[in-house]
Amino acid sequence: MIPPQFDYVRPRSVEEAVAALGEHGRDGDAKVLAGGQSLLPVLRLRLGYPTVLVDLGRAAGFHGVREEADTLVIGAMTTHHEVMTSKLVRAHCGLLAEATSTVADPAVRHRGTFGGSLSHADPAGDLPAVARAFDATMVVAGPGRLRTAPASEFFLGHMTTALEPEEVLVAVRLPKLGSDWGYRYEKFTRVAQSWAIVGVAALVRRSNGVIAEARIGLTNMGSTPERATATEDALTGRAPTDDAVASAAALAAEGTAPPSDLNGRADYREHLARVLTRRAVLAAAMRTR
Amino acid sequence: MQLEHEFTVPVPAPDAWRVLLDLQRIAPCMPGATIERVEGDEFTGRIKVKLGPIMVSYYGTARFVEKDEAGRRFVLEGNGRETRGAGTASATITGRLHEQQSSTRVTVTTDLDITGKPAQFGRGVLAEVAANLLDRFATCLADRITASPTTATPATEEQAAAQRVSVGGAQGDGRSMDSEAGTLDLIGTVGLPVLRRLTPALAGLAAVLGWLVARRARSRVVVHVHLPAYEERTRRPWLAGVRSRLP
Repeated sequence: MIPPQFDYVRPRSVEEAVAALGEHGRDGDAKVLAGGQSLLPVLRLRLGYPTVLVDLGRAAGFHGVREEADTLVIGAMTTHHEVMTSKLVRAHCGLLAEATSTVADPAVRHRGTFGGSLSHADPAGDLPAVARAFDATMVVAGPGRLRTAPASEFFLGHMTTALEPEEVLVAVRLPKLGSDWGYRYEKFTRVAQSWAIVGVAALVRRSNGVIAEARIGLTNMGSTPERATATEDALTGRAPTDDAVASAAALAAEGTAPPSDLNGRADYREHLARVLTRRAVLAAAMRTR
Repeated sequence: MQLEHEFTVPVPAPDAWRVLLDLQRIAPCMPGATIERVEGDEFTGRIKVKLGPIMVSYYGTARFVEKDEAGRRFVLEGNGRETRGAGTASATITGRLHEQQSSTRVTVTTDLDITGKPAQFGRGVLAEVAANLLDRFATCLADRITASPTTATPATEEQAAAQRVSVGGAQGDGRSMDSEAGTLDLIGTVGLPVLRRLTPALAGLAAVLGWLVARRARSRVVVHVHLPAYEERTRRPWLAGVRSRLP
């Protein structure tokens, strides 16, 4: 279908983007166009009818991966393909590269962006759970200011984030992780390239043979990405044996409220979370040195 | 489908009753809604609900079919039609007021029947959206009541604190009150984009809306994936074409 009519603005910088959102976003009907891999289908299906699209495609200041001391800063408009093939990301944030390589298909990954995926905040999207696992920091530009928001406070509900109508996500800061960290993204889908029915993003740090720290993000186990905190606590200080990991993973669904839909009921998703957490943690622990 | 919510108004039940049934007073508090006409117990208006990039607006009427002041119970029936689509929504909203010390707990049961694209959204999402709307409605209402000179102002800090509105969404799908309330608080604090005004009736309609699944619509087949409301017996002519393409 042809999208409904809208005005089109193409800012050249972060400041212009914020100004455009301030001008057109006050009535709440301006939308930011990043890679368009979710927004354009919405428009074509006429599920949304924004009055203005603010296209960040040629705006400077949103793009690329760079190092800042012990942090990687990834521009919001960096495409999935660029993220998963970035040497910096692969070297320091392998979990993100791995999870990003499971997002949809190559065509989507060449257009879709890291920041777009996070701002869209689809509960079944893979990257929000990864951001939670990393305790990522969102860098948000608004009128006359730049602010940061931790991932734990960024995702508020179904497709709802802490971004105000006149704000835009500029970049995401991820901690660089050393080789004592192992990682694994486990994703269960019904058909290849579809959305995760459940996904588990695991980061495990080993020290003296035991798990010193575990961070586990859950995809599609609620309206926001969750952390499996009970499992994280149960793993801390334990050797990553099959039994220890299995008993900790049995707690993975605690405190979650997964949806029931055509792909599976809530209890099935809870089961998936436990199984995938066990697999992800074991695989992550194997990868540590 | 049936949705359950509740909120608290910081005045005794008789006052709460008067406020809640005073359309002119509560209308500005309903996010996303505008009332165009009021005729007795019936009113006409529109409501726009947004969820991320997805928007649905309805135009329709609602009327009080029961106002039992002694029993502190009211029933509101609403019917709406999508302004940009073929979908419809109808809701029967039953409100009950429960007296607490100096405040009133209001429980709201909504019987919802929706057709068209928003029917895709499962009850979990619809309940979340509705709870969110009601939360902001209740917060706005409480602010207005406490700011209004016609009602007693709290004498002490404690009382003032006690008058802060609390909202919880209880749902039949087993989600815990705690986590739901936590979500709502966050959203309430930060505030969703848009939404502006409306009335409690439209709250029901609002529930109706929900959201769509365009997400899955990344193109091709993916639309299929999300028919959470498959079992809910809603008519979805829109889906007929999609379903035939399912693997």
